[in-house]
Amino acid sequence: MKVDRRSFLGLGLGAVAGVAVSPVGIKLTDDSSIWTQNWPWTPVPIDGEVTYENSVCSLCPGSCGLSIRKIDDRPVKIEGLAEHPVNDGGACLHGIAGLQYLYDPARVKTPLKKNGDKFEKISWDDAIALVAGKLVDIRKSGSPEKLACIADKEQGSVSGLFQRLLKTFGSPNFYTMPSLESYLEVTAEALHGEGMTIGFDLENSDFVLSFGAGIIEGWGSPVNCFKANASRRARHAKLYQIESRLSNTAANADKWIPIKPGTEADLALGICAVILKNNLFNGGATANFRGGFNKLAIMIQKDYAPSKTAEITGVKASDIEKIATLFAKAKMPVAVFGKGRGDGAQSLKELAAVHTLNCLVDNINKEGGAFVQPQSEYLEFPDESMDSIADAGFSKNKAGRYVNQLIEKVNESSKPVVEALFVYNANPCYSLHDSKSVKQAIGKIPFVVSFSSFLDETAKEADIILPSHTFLERLEDVPSCAGLAKSVVGLTKPVIDPVFDTKHAGDAVILIAKALEGSIAQNFEWETYDECLESVAGGIWDSLSEDGYAIISEGAPSGSVAVNVSFLADNPATIQAQGDYELTLIPIDNMRLINAGIAASPFAIKTVSDKVLKGSDIVVEINPLTAKGLKDRGYATLTTPMGTARVMINLNEGMMPGIIGMVEGLGHTFDNKYVSNKGINVNDLIGPVIESGSGLDAAFGIKVKISKA
Amino acid sequence: MDSALIPEGAKRCSFPKFAIGIAIVSAVVLWGVFAMFLCWFKGLNQTNMNDYYGFALWIWADLAVIAVGGGAFFTGLLRYIFKIDELKNIINFAVIIGFICYSSALLILAIDIGQPLRGWFIFWHANVHSMLTEVAFCLSAYFAVLTIEFIPNILENRQANKVPFFHHLAHNMHGVMAVFAATGAFLSFFHQGSLGGVAGVLYGRPFAVREGLLIWPWTFFLFTWSAAAFGPCFTLLVTKITETVTGKKLVKDNVVHLLAKISGWMIVTYIIAKIIDTIYWALVTAPSLGFTLSHFYSNNGFYGYWILITEIVLCGVVPGAILIMKSTRENPRLRLIAIILGVIGVCLNRWVMVLQIMAVPVMSFDTWALYFPSWQEIATTILPVAYGIILIAVAYRYLPVFPQEQELNTIEPVAEAE
Amino acid sequence: MKQNNNKAHKFGMVIDLDKCTGCGSCMVSCMSENNVPFKEDESNKKDSITWMSVYKLTNGKSFPDTQIVYMPRPCQHCGGKGDHGHSPCVSVCPAVATDYGYDTGIVSQIYTRCFGCRYCMGACPYHARYFNWWDPKWPEGMENYLSPDVSPRMRGVVEKCSFCYHRYQAARDIAYYEGRDDIEEHEYQTACTTACPAGAIVFGDLNNPAHQVHQIVKPDPHPDPRNKHVVGKSRNPKVFRLLERLGTNPKIYYLSEREWVRKAGDNYLDGEWDKIKNYHGATLSND
Repeated sequence: MKVDRRSFLGLGLGAVAGVAVSPVGIKLTDDSSIWTQNWPWTPVPIDGEVTYENSVCSLCPGSCGLSIRKIDDRPVKIEGLAEHPVNDGGACLHGIAGLQYLYDPARVKTPLKKNGDKFEKISWDDAIALVAGKLVDIRKSGSPEKLACIADKEQGSVSGLFQRLLKTFGSPNFYTMPSLESYLEVTAEALHGEGMTIGFDLENSDFVLSFGAGIIEGWGSPVNCFKANASRRARHAKLYQIESRLSNTAANADKWIPIKPGTEADLALGICAVILKNNLFNGGATANFRGGFNKLAIMIQKDYAPSKTAEITGVKASDIEKIATLFAKAKMPVAVFGKGRGDGAQSLKELAAVHTLNCLVDNINKEGGAFVQPQSEYLEFPDESMDSIADAGFSKNKAGRYVNQLIEKVNESSKPVVEALFVYNANPCYSLHDSKSVKQAIGKIPFVVSFSSFLDETAKEADIILPSHTFLERLEDVPSCAGLAKSVVGLTKPVIDPVFDTKHAGDAVILIAKALEGSIAQNFEWETYDECLESVAGGIWDSLSEDGYAIISEGAPSGSVAVNVSFLADNPATIQAQGDYELTLIPIDNMRLINAGIAASPFAIKTVSDKVLKGSDIVVEINPLTAKGLKDRGYATLTTPMGTARVMINLNEGMMPGIIGMVEGLGHTFDNKYVSNKGINVNDLIGPVIESGSGLDAAFGIKVKISKA
Repeated sequence: MDSALIPEGAKRCSFPKFAIGIAIVSAVVLWGVFAMFLCWFKGLNQTNMNDYYGFALWIWADLAVIAVGGGAFFTGLLRYIFKIDELKNIINFAVIIGFICYSSALLILAIDIGQPLRGWFIFWHANVHSMLTEVAFCLSAYFAVLTIEFIPNILENRQANKVPFFHHLAHNMHGVMAVFAATGAFLSFFHQGSLGGVAGVLYGRPFAVREGLLIWPWTFFLFTWSAAAFGPCFTLLVTKITETVTGKKLVKDNVVHLLAKISGWMIVTYIIAKIIDTIYWALVTAPSLGFTLSHFYSNNGFYGYWILITEIVLCGVVPGAILIMKSTRENPRLRLIAIILGVIGVCLNRWVMVLQIMAVPVMSFDTWALYFPSWQEIATTILPVAYGIILIAVAYRYLPVFPQEQELNTIEPVAEAE
Repeated sequence: MKQNNNKAHKFGMVIDLDKCTGCGSCMVSCMSENNVPFKEDESNKKDSITWMSVYKLTNGKSFPDTQIVYMPRPCQHCGGKGDHGHSPCVSVCPAVATDYGYDTGIVSQIYTRCFGCRYCMGACPYHARYFNWWDPKWPEGMENYLSPDVSPRMRGVVEKCSFCYHRYQAARDIAYYEGRDDIEEHEYQTACTTACPAGAIVFGDLNNPAHQVHQIVKPDPHPDPRNKHVVGKSRNPKVFRLLERLGTNPKIYYLSEREWVRKAGDNYLDGEWDKIKNYHGATLSND
């Protein structure tokens, strides 16, 4: 057959027609759509058996009970645990997003050793040997006190192990990061004596006078506070919020009392003055006052009369009188301190002045009031056996009372104050004021060991990282340290096998101690941390392991407590913001961010408003009157004595004129693009201001100027 | 080189000149095609659309090309059903423009949907309550009709016509064209209307929602009417452009005047209806939902009353008035201004009925949302324009599109074949 | 099946805005429950998928009279005009990829059916619908936390709150397995409801007088004589719905003691609010 053009064309057309009428087209159309419904790059979660496990969250001191839903071995959802004594069902966004921390791109996946500017992987054995070797050298040099440790808190068995290691090593230099609990203890110590702490019975109080405490901003145990706040209306209770900006708490309160930032202590004393003048105080209660009650009363009446206080604080004299009367006449009033989350800088003057209000109206250890009681000691570590080096070293003075003093001393001294530093569950290079100088201090320390799960700002400065399990991978006792009316210890349980080559920090400490041999090792005879916990938790272990928690104390403690007012009676000076600029920059606590060492999860960051974070720009709040020529959503430059920053402007009528608010918890530099390099760390712009009587960093803000960028 | 394909007796530019022109426009097409593939392979993140602007430039382009493509069905209706015979001199061109417009609309839709490979679900899983379903069915069917209407013209190509089968087919198709014209008019009535209905049924959007007749909101009828009114403006505009580019008169003035007159009266009647609709909506519909007219035209950086006035007065009342009066209609300059204003007017109407709807806040605490398209959106929107230019150029060169061309242009001897 | 013989449910929610703290737990619980993806920059809220979104409203007054309130906004699961199931979005979807469940009142979304025309998004005045502009991507290893109850969505489709429909299915399955006709109130609760630390969200069957949500809302079963499209108006003077006047008939109700908050729920011409603010359903006086 001859194939000419015509027949070729015919054949071609025929073929096309044939294909067109055949099912091929339909089949391809159908198949391609089925393909789009099953794109291989869209994950398909594997199904399996559903189980629930209970645990406790330790992302913040709130210590909420959690219920974790699992599919076979995979945890897939975290929810609040119903009927848990702390949170009874609800959970905060950070806890719910907890699974994102497990697979966080910034996790430290194996032990790391710094070589030059870079980290390289090493084995656990090598890492422990390296740390132990360094510690042996320090001990040999005869100054074991030059080993220091910064942890998140004093309570709990892991912190206990660190403290035990330091003590038996011969160092008193154990520090904790500032937290609400630490301020509660400082306050209790100043007014009631050492070893005491304070809790607030918000759930029962009928009049909460909050001096900036962010009751629904993450203060204390957040979920517990949310619940107490939510039940307020049903209980006919009132919340008065004293704060310089319209925070969520202020917005939710029955009354918002705007105040010049940093003058809360003065207002508290002004209210005391009215209570004293009008005889609204409880005579019986004042019998417990020591340290010069009369002196205090005279001083307050003289220096904090309503008109004077009004001038200082910007709160009207009539309002001061009204608040004082309402507070004093309420059945179960409570005055609450701790601005924001209560873990930022605070002055003892403010803490003591606010708590004196509680003492004056005699709500101490009464339902709906403030509970003052000894710190709960539920762990029973065996007594330490110490060798002579340890004894000598441990009896020396600490380098400073608070961590900021340690940092200052390290920076100031030409000789090394600290030879080796352990950092556990803390990120001082991010969370302390003037983070640049903190980094400088950490950099000056020859040997820094981080126990962080993440390559955070401080871990980046470390020489060795011994990565810890996240809270979902470990067993640990979690005491609630958050000003709760009740004292609860929860048990965090591993709900998944460790995702990476990490260890429990408790195990790491035990291994280090064992490697140090001698009397130190003798104090750490447990094989594992789990074994240690079971033995030291002795009395409450059964309850912990069976119920997941143990209630140490509940309800109003009995008995009255002495009140020592000598600190206030001397009328300490009110802290002033550093600098000469006209405006004041204050940090803002936002529930959707975390201002402690860890960064908020990708989910949490996703919920952050574009009036807080826009792209990589931080947005600051400012009253339109103060903003002058600045436009909403426009850019500006902030300058404080600590540095400058480019920011976006959010004109906000909820800000008191004269102040600029910047959110805490942004500006992380982790290797996690979902949460890092967004905005700036407000602690870069604020420097510490040390309160003379207490040694606390009390910088509530800093002076600032703003100009168009 | 290609003279064998050129209609007998017609004068065309040299092939190289033609090829260069096509090449330039093809570059634009390629740019558009590149953007199109970006959208297909990377997804619609290539656009500046967002969750406030699910409908944006592309949907506007769709609505606009379908509106201006309305010249095809309306001219067909007038020519074949109402037997206005003069219009046979422009019907071919109207059909080609319609074909371009509708094929463009389908192409843009294929880019616009998030899952193009599942686009056929609109037919398979059709929801009869959705205006978009009606649009899809009628639009596809009408595109088929347009193709059928276009075929005889293609078959009249000098070479194709030599094939006896094609010759007879073309002839017979001309004979039954009235049936297709009627079908086309019917389908167009519904899909033009449904496109109006797309906005009018949005009862969650007080800026869009309209009362109406049975299931059809007033926008349904307004869209059909406006397409019929302004479509011929576009046909005339493209004819004028083609005449300018080719430097030849292609359609006799009486035909142009007639179509312009019809268009004028359609515009006038439409704009009266539109004004009544706007007043009723502004005074009754929107207030009943808690909105004043000013809500839709203030507190934002773009949408002001100017857009309402431009659409209705400047681009509606004015061209209508120019085209219904003999003196102004037959003034070439004024007529050109009128048809340009008309085309702008209908496009602006479609813009308002797509983009301003998305921009207006509805919840009392919501904010205005403004949007500017990405280059990918712009390129894919220009793509059909470039493609249309090529198709018109090719059609004009090789097909006897304009029956009056030879009569209007002195016949010169056919250039020697090379 | 037995369970189909029951009276239709009408699941809905009432959110106490005076209790809401704006903390964001509901948002994150929703994202985690429903495998919602996240991307590097989520600060452009117009392309950020949050089935549950929390708006911040202000009373517009200047310092110190400013007030704010947070308003969580899930999908409103509109019953549509006259509550006949023709929700704004359902009625426009050309491919029945979103549908109204007459047995539950839930507006569903079938991701594999949706072809991404986004007409539903244009139809929704609440911005409750979100388009997958990108392929969902999780950092390495993070796919491990994805729940098999809800399939992750491919790019190019619309998604939205489902009232955690999978939880309803699971609860129904258990009830069926245990031989019960119907599920208990506590057996079916959405992820946002259970997460809310303030207990501000109450979820349940609006048709069931035993349910808390019904008791708070007291929905008027009759059409509102002032606007025949509105059905289910609350007879609780503190309760309102978003954009009720449009006739979308949402199943999300809001509660607030504050008048300015209730007023912000809808649009009113000058003076209109004062005339109707004390009107709470037709049948109240007859009760």
